[in-house]
Amino acid sequence: MLDRKVVREENPRIKELKFVLRRIRENPLSIAGLAIVIFFTIIAIAAPLLAPPITGRDPYMIPRYGYSPIPQPPSPKNPFGTTQGQYDLYYGIIWGTRTAYRIGILVVVASILIGIVIGALAGYYKGIIDEALMRITDIILAFPALILAMALAVAFGPGLDSITLALVLVWWPAYARLVRGEFLRITSEDFVEAAKAIGCSDFRIIFRHVLPNAIFPLIVMASLDIGSVVLTAAALSFLGLGPPEGYADWGQLISLSRNWIIGTAQNPFAYWHVWIIPGIFLFLFVMGWNMLGDALRDALDPMIRRR
Amino acid sequence: MVLNDDEHLRIKDLVVRFYTYEGIVRAIERANLQLRKGETLGIVGETGSGKSVTALTIMALTPPPGKVENGDIFFRKSDGDVVNILKLNEHELLRIRGKEISIIFQEPNAALNPLYRVGEQIAEAIFSHRLGEMLERAIQHLKREIKDGNGGFAAGLELWAYSKMLENPNSISLRFMRRLPIIKNIITRRLRQIVREEIIELLRLMEIPDPHRVVDAYPHELSGGMQQRVVIAIALSCSPTLLLADEPTTNLDVTVQAQILDLIMRLKQRFGASVIYITHDMGVIAEISDRVAVMYAGNVVEVAPVKELFKNPLHPYTKALLESIPRPGSPFKSIPGAVPNLVNPPSGCRFHPRCQYMMDECKHKVPALVKVSEEHQVACLLYGG
Amino acid sequence: MIRRALLLVPVLIGVTLLIFAVSQLFDPYMRASLYITDPRQIRNIEAIIQKYGLNQPFYIQYFKWIEQVLQGNLGWSQSARMQVLSALINYFPATLELTLYAAPLTILVGIILGKVAAVKKDTAIDHLLRSMAIIGWSLPSFWLGIVLLAVFYGGLGIFGPGRLSTWAEALVLSGQFKTYTGLYTIDAILNLNGTVLLDALSHLILPVTTLVIINVAVLMRVMRSSMLEQLNKTYVIAARARGLKERVVIDKHVTKNALIPIITLSGLLTASMLSGMVITETVFEIKGIGYFAARAATQLDVSAVLGFALFAGTLFVVANLIVDILYAYIDPRIRLG
Repeated sequence: MLDRKVVREENPRIKELKFVLRRIRENPLSIAGLAIVIFFTIIAIAAPLLAPPITGRDPYMIPRYGYSPIPQPPSPKNPFGTTQGQYDLYYGIIWGTRTAYRIGILVVVASILIGIVIGALAGYYKGIIDEALMRITDIILAFPALILAMALAVAFGPGLDSITLALVLVWWPAYARLVRGEFLRITSEDFVEAAKAIGCSDFRIIFRHVLPNAIFPLIVMASLDIGSVVLTAAALSFLGLGPPEGYADWGQLISLSRNWIIGTAQNPFAYWHVWIIPGIFLFLFVMGWNMLGDALRDALDPMIRRR
Repeated sequence: MVLNDDEHLRIKDLVVRFYTYEGIVRAIERANLQLRKGETLGIVGETGSGKSVTALTIMALTPPPGKVENGDIFFRKSDGDVVNILKLNEHELLRIRGKEISIIFQEPNAALNPLYRVGEQIAEAIFSHRLGEMLERAIQHLKREIKDGNGGFAAGLELWAYSKMLENPNSISLRFMRRLPIIKNIITRRLRQIVREEIIELLRLMEIPDPHRVVDAYPHELSGGMQQRVVIAIALSCSPTLLLADEPTTNLDVTVQAQILDLIMRLKQRFGASVIYITHDMGVIAEISDRVAVMYAGNVVEVAPVKELFKNPLHPYTKALLESIPRPGSPFKSIPGAVPNLVNPPSGCRFHPRCQYMMDECKHKVPALVKVSEEHQVACLLYGG
Repeated sequence: MIRRALLLVPVLIGVTLLIFAVSQLFDPYMRASLYITDPRQIRNIEAIIQKYGLNQPFYIQYFKWIEQVLQGNLGWSQSARMQVLSALINYFPATLELTLYAAPLTILVGIILGKVAAVKKDTAIDHLLRSMAIIGWSLPSFWLGIVLLAVFYGGLGIFGPGRLSTWAEALVLSGQFKTYTGLYTIDAILNLNGTVLLDALSHLILPVTTLVIINVAVLMRVMRSSMLEQLNKTYVIAARARGLKERVVIDKHVTKNALIPIITLSGLLTASMLSGMVITETVFEIKGIGYFAARAATQLDVSAVLGFALFAGTLFVVANLIVDILYAYIDPRIRLG
C-alpha cells in the first residue's frame, strides 16, 4: 500500500542560513575577504595596545617626531617611518583603521536606518507619500556621489563629522529604494493580506513579516557599501575636505605623500614608505570588504545558486 | 547489427545526470527507446519525467549542468549510414543538427532571438546546410541574366564569387571580402534574394498568410501561433528525416493548437519524416501517434502501439494516467502522491510509493523493459522484468 | 520619445532645487558670490543681498536665483578668477579629451573581458579575471594615480603630470598653433603637428590607464552576468539546434542580447566621466572641470562648487535620457511595441 512517512522538514529559514554559510565556505574569495576583514577589525579594536596614545592628547592626532617636512625612513622608533611633518606613519595607520571603521559603520548604519524608515513609509503607504519620497531619492541619485558629497562637505566645513554627515545624506536614498522595493514585493504577497484580515496591526506586520524578508539584500548591499563609503571618504580627505592635518586618517596620509613620489636625485623611490604604505592599507581594507560583500551577494543571488 | 532495417533511431541504456548545488539529479536512468522509420512516436509523461531532456540529448544538446553518463543513441542518417550520436565530434554533430534531426520547442517566443528578424533566423539554417544548393541556383540565375544581356560588372563579380565559394569556400580572397560589410552586401545580393524567395516559399508552406510581411518581422510582432509556424519552418527548412516536437502546442491557444497539430502531421507526410512527439496530453497522443512510450521519473515504463495502449494499459502508472483523464459524470480521479525528487529517487521501481499494486520486491528491484507481446513492452515487476 | 524628453523637466527642476537647498547651508555673505559677475561688486555686498533677496524666504530666493542661472549667470569664481560659467566652458575641453580616450577603452575592454569570463566560466581564466576586477574596483583611484606617477614619472622620468610638457605648452599658446577644439590631441592633428600630438598622448597614458583599471571592473561584471543569463535561454539552444557553430552562436546571438544592459551602463559611465573626474584630474594635474571643482572646494569657493554640481547633475540627467532613447532604438521590442 501507499507508503506514508511523515518527514520533518527543517525550519526553512535555518535551512536557508545553512545553505548560505556553506556557499560562503566553499568560495575561496570569501575566505580571503573574511580573513582580511577580521585582520582589520582586530587592529581597530586593539589600536590602543598596538600604538599607545599619548596621555592627555586626542588619540586620533598622530604624534610628531619633529617638524621637518622631509619624511624619514622606517626605523626602530618609527616602524613605518615618518611622513611629511614627521608624523609617525605606523601610528597613523593603526588609528586610521579605527577612523575608517568609524566612518564606514556610521554612514552605512545611519543610511540603513534612514533608508528603512523612508523606504517603509513609501512602500507601505504608497500613493502620494511614495511618489514624493521617490522623487526626492531620484534627484539625489541623479548626482554622482562624490560630487554631491563634495558640495555638502564644503557647506558643512572641513572635518570628519562633516564628511560623515555629507556621506550619509548621499547614501541613504539607495537603501530607501531597496527597502521600498522589498516592501512592494512582499506586501503584494498573499500572506500579508491574510495577516491584515486577521487584524494584525500595521506595525506588527512590518516588523514580523516584511523586515525579516528584506534583511538579506540589505546585508549584501551594506557589506558592499562599507568599502565604497570608506573609499569616498578617503577621497574627500585627500582633497582636503576631511579631518585636519595630523589626524589619523588614511586619505589624509595619502594626500601628504603627493610631494614625495619623485624621491631624491639618487633614488626615485627614497620615500616609498610614504606613498606605498597608507595606500596599501586602504586598498586592502576596501578589497577585503568588497570580497566579502561579493561572496555574500553570490551566495544569496537566487539565479546563480541553482547551478 | 546495431539498428534493424526498419529502425530510424534507437536509444540504448541512456543515463543522464544533472550536477547541481543541491545534489546530483538522476534525470534519466537507463532509458530504452526505438523509433521506426516514418512513424510518429508519442512520448507521454508528467513534468520531470525526463521527456524534454531525452529530446535534447538526441541532438547532443543536453543542457548544462547535465551530463550524459552512459548509453548510446544510434541514428540512421539519410545516406544510410548509422552513427552513434553520443560519440560524434562537434563537427559531425553540426551536420546533423538542423539537417538530419530538427527540434521544435514548447515556447515559440523563447525559441526565437528577439533582436533578429524572423527571416534572418530561418536563413541561418539554410545557409548552414543548403548553401551549395542556393549557390548553384544563384549561379544559374546569373548565367541567364548575363546571357540575356542584363548582366554588367556586378553580375559578373557575383558569378565569380559564387563559383569560388562552391569550389573553395575557405579561400583567402573570399575570407577577406567577408570582412568588409559593404562589399559583402554587394557580392551576395543575388544569393540573398534567392534565399529570401526560398524562405517565403517555406513560410507559405507553413500556411502563413502574407509571408512577405512575416519574413521581415521581429518575433514579438507575431502571434504565438505564427511564431510556432516560424519555428517549424526553421526546423523543416533543410528537410530533416527526424523531427522532435517538445510540447509544441502546450503554450498556444486551444484553437491554434489544433491548427498547428494538423500542420505538423501534414508536413510530416509531405517530408516523409519520422516524428517524436512529446506531450503530457493523452488526447493529443491518441490522435496522432502510431506508437506510444510512457515515461515516469526518468524511466521508460511502457511502450505500445497507440490503440493497444489505450485498450490494454499494463503499467500501473499508465493505467492511472488513463483513469485520471476527466470524464463528464464520473468523479475526478488523480494519482496519489507526488512526482519524486530525483536527487533522492525512491529505491527500486521509482513508481512504487504511488503504486496500488506495490509488492515488497518493488522497493528493491528496478524493473527492466521487457516484451510482453510482439509490440508491447512494460517495465514492471508484475509482468516479469 | 517626446514624452520621455518632457519627463526631463521635472527632474531638472528637482536638481536645481537640491543645489539650491545645499546653497542655503551657506550664510548670505558667501552666497553673494553666486550672483556677481565681477569681483569688484563684492564691495557692495549689502546691495547684492538686497537685490537678490538673500535674506528673504526660500521661494523668493529660488526664483531669483533660477532667473540668474537661466541667463547664464552662475556667479563669480574666486579660485578660477573668472565667471563660473566661463570657467566651466574653459576647463571642459580637458575633461572631454580625457573622456574621449578613457570611456571607449573602458567599455571595449570591459565587454571583451566580460565575454571571455562568461564563456570560460569557472575556469582559471574566469577566476583570474574576476579577481582582477575586484582588485581594480577596490583600488583608491587617487592612490593608483600616485603609484603610477611614482613609478613612471618618479622612477623612469616619463609620462609626467599635466596635459603637456612645458615646451609643448609654450608652442600651443604661441601664435603658431591654432586652437580649434581645446583638445590638444585633436588640435595637434588638425595642425599637422606630430610632436605635440605625441606629447599630449604621452601625458594621457597614465590618467587613462588609471581610469580604465578602476572602471573596467563594473562593466566586466555586468557583461559577464548578462552573458551568463542569456546562455540559459531557449533561443540559444534553438540556435545550436539549427546546426550553427558555437562561435557563431556566441558572437551573433548571445553577445548581441547581452549587450543591451551594457548600453545603459556605458552611457552612465561616460556621463560620470564627463561630469568631471575630480580625483584623477587632481592627481594628474589635468586642468579639467574636476580639477576646477576640487580646487574650488579647498578654497571654499561656493559659487564654483555649486555651479559645478549643477552642471554635473544636469549632464547626468540628460545623459540618462539619451541612454533611454538609445535603449529604445536598439531593442526592437521597445521600439515597436
